Amino acid sequence: MSVDSIPANREFAKQLGVTFPILSDFKRTVVKDYGVFNEEQGFGNRATFVIDKEGIIRHVEEGNTAIDPTSAADTCNALTHKKAATTP
Amino acid sequence: MRTRLLISLVLLVVLGGVAMGQQPPAGKTHLKVGDPAPDFTLRATDGKTYKLSDFKGKKNVVLAIYVLAFTGG
Repeated sequence: MSVDSIPANREFAKQLGVTFPILSDFKRTVVKDYGVFNEEQGFGNRATFVIDKEGIIRHVEEGNTAIDPTSAADTCNALTHKKAATTP
Repeated sequence: MRTRLLISLVLLVVLGGVAMGQQPPAGKTHLKVGDPAPDFTLRATDGKTYKLSDFKGKKNVVLAIYVLAFTGG
């Protein structure tokens, strides 16, 4: 997700060859709600949030370290295993 | 020679400052692990609209926010 327009994100996705949809927060409401809006530059700072099935935040990473998805993936794996452990 | 060195140093400091100024400041979200994620509804590149709460009870969600299109990462 970014604050770019949908056409800009479409072109970006095309260049990267990504197959999943990219969300557009053009009105900056979500980056503000999530506290990552950069007022000086007008965009959302880089951040990754992992949200579980109950809608609870389970992982937060901000800044340039959020480029690396490893810790977010670890959290996802932990959530998946938690489900497997509780599912008979 | 000494003046040139001084000018070079000043340029280095000024240009370095400009380069650093272009980096987004460190994030400062008020949200933390354990907080409920604020709900949202957004349109995506596939033309569909996605609502976070529609995934409740169904899927875990990774919300990855990147700075701008055509930038790294």
